Amino acid sequence: MNLRVVVANLFVKLMSVYREKTAMFFTIAFPIILILVFGTIFMSQDNVEYHLCVQDLDQSNLSAQSLKSMQKDGKFKITMVSPDINAAQYIRDKKVNLVMVIPKGFERSLTQRVMLSDLKASVTITYVYDPSSSSVPTKIQILNAVLAGINQKISGKPPVILSVEKSILTRKYRFIEFFVPGIIAMAVMSLSLFGTVNLNTELRQKGIIRKLSTTPITRTDWILSDILYQFIIALVSTTAMLLVSYAVFDISLNIDAWLLVFILLDVFAFVGIGMILTRFAREAQSAAAAANAISFPMMFLSGSFFPIELMPGFLQTISKILPLYYVNEGLRAAMVFEDNMTALRCSVIIGAFASVVFILGILATKWEEGK
Amino acid sequence: MTEVTEYVIEVDKLTKRYGDLLAVNDISFTVNKGEVFALLGPNGAGKTTTVEIMDTIRTPTSGKVTLLGMDVTKNKHDIVHRIGVLPQGFSSFDRITVRETLQYYSRLFSGMKSDVDGLIELVNLKDKAKEQYKNLSGGLRQRLGIAIALVNNPEVVFLDEPTTGLDPRARREVWEVLQGLKKKGKTVILTTHYMEEAELLADTVAIISKGEIIAMGPPGELIKNNTNYLVLTLQSGDESVFGVVHKMGFEPVLSNHKDIKVRVEHTDDVLKILNAIRDAGALYRGLDVRNPNLEEVFLKMTGEALLVDSVGGKGKE
Repeated sequence: MNLRVVVANLFVKLMSVYREKTAMFFTIAFPIILILVFGTIFMSQDNVEYHLCVQDLDQSNLSAQSLKSMQKDGKFKITMVSPDINAAQYIRDKKVNLVMVIPKGFERSLTQRVMLSDLKASVTITYVYDPSSSSVPTKIQILNAVLAGINQKISGKPPVILSVEKSILTRKYRFIEFFVPGIIAMAVMSLSLFGTVNLNTELRQKGIIRKLSTTPITRTDWILSDILYQFIIALVSTTAMLLVSYAVFDISLNIDAWLLVFILLDVFAFVGIGMILTRFAREAQSAAAAANAISFPMMFLSGSFFPIELMPGFLQTISKILPLYYVNEGLRAAMVFEDNMTALRCSVIIGAFASVVFILGILATKWEEGK
Repeated sequence: MTEVTEYVIEVDKLTKRYGDLLAVNDISFTVNKGEVFALLGPNGAGKTTTVEIMDTIRTPTSGKVTLLGMDVTKNKHDIVHRIGVLPQGFSSFDRITVRETLQYYSRLFSGMKSDVDGLIELVNLKDKAKEQYKNLSGGLRQRLGIAIALVNNPEVVFLDEPTTGLDPRARREVWEVLQGLKKKGKTVILTTHYMEEAELLADTVAIISKGEIIAMGPPGELIKNNTNYLVLTLQSGDESVFGVVHKMGFEPVLSNHKDIKVRVEHTDDVLKILNAIRDAGALYRGLDVRNPNLEEVFLKMTGEALLVDSVGGKGKE
């Protein structure tokens, strides 16, 4: 390795990107936009309020009181539907996804049960819903929990099994604090992978690689300068993401040396993959398509956007062989849970992966034009 | 006492195949120190492949190239320090200035102290030193490419089609730079499909066609040995001029869709043709009589014209 050559390459790459301000802006802006969009969406989910349509066919005092108590905990914003309207038609016409129907005789049945202890007296609440809406199951789940609470109260006996929530973290973290490390991992991957692929295919198509092959520069010098360059860009991008996250969402994350370690390993791994892709996909378009084919599934399967526990079992197994999964896990361990052992385990795994692809990247990089 | 010739390059039975395509077919030649050696031929003849094997960009299928006493396939690392290369279709980093580009390439050759200012002056880019590559014209880019090829003060310089795609003025400016290199005593390997360029700059010309060298020697000698006629050009002659000349038993050729070229053996034939045209009342705008050039040599040896579009075509040869 020749440090002078590495620095010379680094200078050229940094000056090129510094003078291409539009590209630089969008490179940094993309992950920030993601953080702002997803952060805003999921921040509001911490205090989410569902829209609930209710058709009260009983029109009694007790049904009105029950609805008032449902509104009290702030989970539901209730819209009353006239008893004369067909609930299913109402859903179609008003483009709502669920109408809770309180049947006629609601007050009478409850009174019979409570006052007269008539065990045969019961009432059935009907949920008329649109199955194509993804929020319906959540609404029904919450409504069932509310009704279970009411049933418990009506029974007049204290519950046998109680529950209490106890977080493993000393502090209460919000979704955005889990989200930001994932976006950092994803953004560094994209910058390194696409940056390497785009830069190298462009230089090859322009004949610059051919010219460089007639100079003493080695493949190791070239890839190391690329890694250093991508590392600097990744640091700038990460700093911007963290600053925006602190300013807009007032996040609370632990920033220490692990962050640098994982950014560096992320860069190492994906510059190596980029070099391998550049070798086999010779045209810029096919190289970019190959990079997309690798990065997109990885973005969604490795837990950058949502926990892998939400996925089916076989996808979780696939997730755990993806390098980005270990960057995500490692960054969250370091920045959220402050769990050094998990961070160390993840860094060893991603480090081993990065070493292999780095060596393969060097071997795949070809200066000569062919036999 | 026998004079010992110092060969800088020895090419021995060089062959290069790309799959089924035989790009270079068993060629051999030598280049002397301080010589400007031109490979002249049309697009696809095998010039670039030959040069790219010599300057270590490609590897041969068979045969051997010895450069400065070293086998090019085994001593790439040592050779690249001692050669300078302007590859075909040279390009550089868009956002980097002329001076920064030269500084960058000089840093790649560790231990070499490059005179960046001297190089900028040599290729006459002093007033463009702070200009980014993307803002340079084609001619200026080629001059920068030549300066880059000289950044390590090489003993042998390879220039692959240095003027292809340039307008006549830019081409002449590049020629001036190349003549400067010649004066400095550099060994230069030049590929071109412009016979005028080869005649003007080269000490030795190898005419290459379909991967084979079909003639080689100093340009004057090649012309003298392969032609014994004069070329009469009648500029912008009308159709009847062509007919008159043809009737006289000569074989006129239409060049550039407007000029008529005729091979004649003696100056007397020129007078006879001009008199016949005058008597027939045919018209032409001007005339030119000259000795044949390398283009005629190429035509004679291959039966094909070397004439190429001034913008030229590029591609793997």
